[in-house]
Amino acid sequence: MHIHYQIDQPVHLDVQMEVRAFTVLLGLSGEGKSILLKAIAGLIPARGSPFGGLAAEQRPIGYLPQGYALFPHLRAWENVAYPLRGSDRRRQAMDLLARVGLGEMAERYPDALSGGQRQRVALARALARRPELLLLDEPTSALDMATRDEILDALISEVHDFGVPVLAVTHDPHLAMLADHMAVLLNGRIAQEGRPQTMFARPVSAGVARLLGFRNCFAGTVEQVDSLGMTVIVAGWPLRAGPREDLRPGMAVTVVIRSEDFVLCDAVDASAENVLCLKLTRLREEGLAWRVRLEGGLSVDMLLARRLCTGRRPTIGETWCVHVAAEHVQVLMEEGGSSRAAGD
Amino acid sequence: MENNEVVMGAEHIATASRRPPLRWLGAGTAGVVLIFLLAPFGGLALATDWHDFHFVPGDIQAIWVSLFYSALALLLVVLAGTPLAWWLAHGVHRGKWVLDALLLLPLLTPPLAMGILLSTFYGPYSPVGGLLSQAGIYLTNSAPAFVLAQIYGAMPYYVLAARAALEGVPEELEQISRTLGRNRWQTFWRVTVPLARLGLAAGVALAWVRAMGEFGIVLIVAYFPQGIPVKLWVNLQDVGLTAVYPLLWVFFWVAIPLPLWLGLRTRRGLL
Repeated sequence: MHIHYQIDQPVHLDVQMEVRAFTVLLGLSGEGKSILLKAIAGLIPARGSPFGGLAAEQRPIGYLPQGYALFPHLRAWENVAYPLRGSDRRRQAMDLLARVGLGEMAERYPDALSGGQRQRVALARALARRPELLLLDEPTSALDMATRDEILDALISEVHDFGVPVLAVTHDPHLAMLADHMAVLLNGRIAQEGRPQTMFARPVSAGVARLLGFRNCFAGTVEQVDSLGMTVIVAGWPLRAGPREDLRPGMAVTVVIRSEDFVLCDAVDASAENVLCLKLTRLREEGLAWRVRLEGGLSVDMLLARRLCTGRRPTIGETWCVHVAAEHVQVLMEEGGSSRAAGD
Repeated sequence: MENNEVVMGAEHIATASRRPPLRWLGAGTAGVVLIFLLAPFGGLALATDWHDFHFVPGDIQAIWVSLFYSALALLLVVLAGTPLAWWLAHGVHRGKWVLDALLLLPLLTPPLAMGILLSTFYGPYSPVGGLLSQAGIYLTNSAPAFVLAQIYGAMPYYVLAARAALEGVPEELEQISRTLGRNRWQTFWRVTVPLARLGLAAGVALAWVRAMGEFGIVLIVAYFPQGIPVKLWVNLQDVGLTAVYPLLWVFFWVAIPLPLWLGLRTRRGLL
């Protein structure tokens, strides 16, 4: 399904994108993602297609806002039966609840359901309308971390079962990784869209890269391009990257690298390709990893699995040599990169 | 440090030992205030001559006038006041505070002054009154004038309560209802009213009591037909205090049950 919507108020948006199976629209908070969903649902004035010009109640969409908005005065089955008509509505609602695995919760009121159960009731209610498009607003926001992945897996498999195309908006790159198709909203427009595997490997701009979780963003200059790859000079550091046909020596570029793509190596390798020796200036535990800041000619943000440095506790002030593989160095043809690690 | 701990411990013990008297003091004060509020009702029970409990001529008619016209006024207040309350709750308009202030005007105006205003505006010598009288509607000393006075007395209270109740309904739920195929009218009945029911019930109860008990406005614009409040005043003037008690008991019996019933049902979650 192709979507094209233009909104003037309260934020300016001009969004064109494809929705295929489970599609995620990634964007920063305040970018207007929720407003786009409301516009598609017909709840705020906008121009666009599909469904343009129809009143909200006439649009064949299912809309799940953040928090799910179940009617608190209705039981679970009554919520699901809300869009249904006719004497058979209770049985249809019960069938839908059973399909999302909540048949036994039918008589409960929303305040007696967990976050995940509410989400599934809201999903059943939205599907009861037989929508042509399902809109999910930040589907992970009301879930706790412990059960989030499990509930998301169930949600995605359920929407696949029902065969309804889904557009989910989020600022959570983790959700985007699970999508069949994704797009990034930046400055009111779609900056990039495609398969998540491609997008996470090859962002088209520094802005997109930041949204996709790249925390190292450097300004550089292409020094050499050959059949095997290219060399980019970043703060005096010659960095090898994969081959690109559209770049020429002397071009200003932005280099982005994921924090987890840096690996520790021995000081004896300091002269090897893509190895940089820097001073450790900051250290923070992050679950089973260390979040490390290294500084020298440039500032590098690195995420180091703790199992990779067993028997050795990192110490502020010591010098580390780190390596990044050429295929993990993303070179973007744009200006405005910074020599400092982004997202700090 | 140890000294500090000792001192803090002593304070803790002192606070704990002070708690029971404080609790008794609170309960005692609450009891005294409750007795203060309810004492006049007990006084009425003692002052009433139960062996000679009878109505003065015209009392029964006043009861029917009050019941029938108050019910009519309440119906009109709810029918006209609910859309206004909804619009005030949902409308996003510039200068909304001016509307709020204007709505408070009839509420804050003393009833007698309100009666004079109505008499000036709807009276037979006013342009509006003149036009209405040509159509056969007289808004002085008539049944329509009586209902009009009750509406002016009750509607501001209902609109304020209903507006607060409607504002409390999350707009998101109303929007969701529309995305589920229900139009605005269906959404209003199936989502807005059920979720605002407690506040709306409070508004209805308040409006009923205000309409039943309206005296100041009614006295000026509709001395006739006489409802219970005006008849109480007439009995007091013409006969004396003893002639008032039976009608006063009836007033409590007809005015209080609706608010009491609504209040109890809402408290028990039955509404």
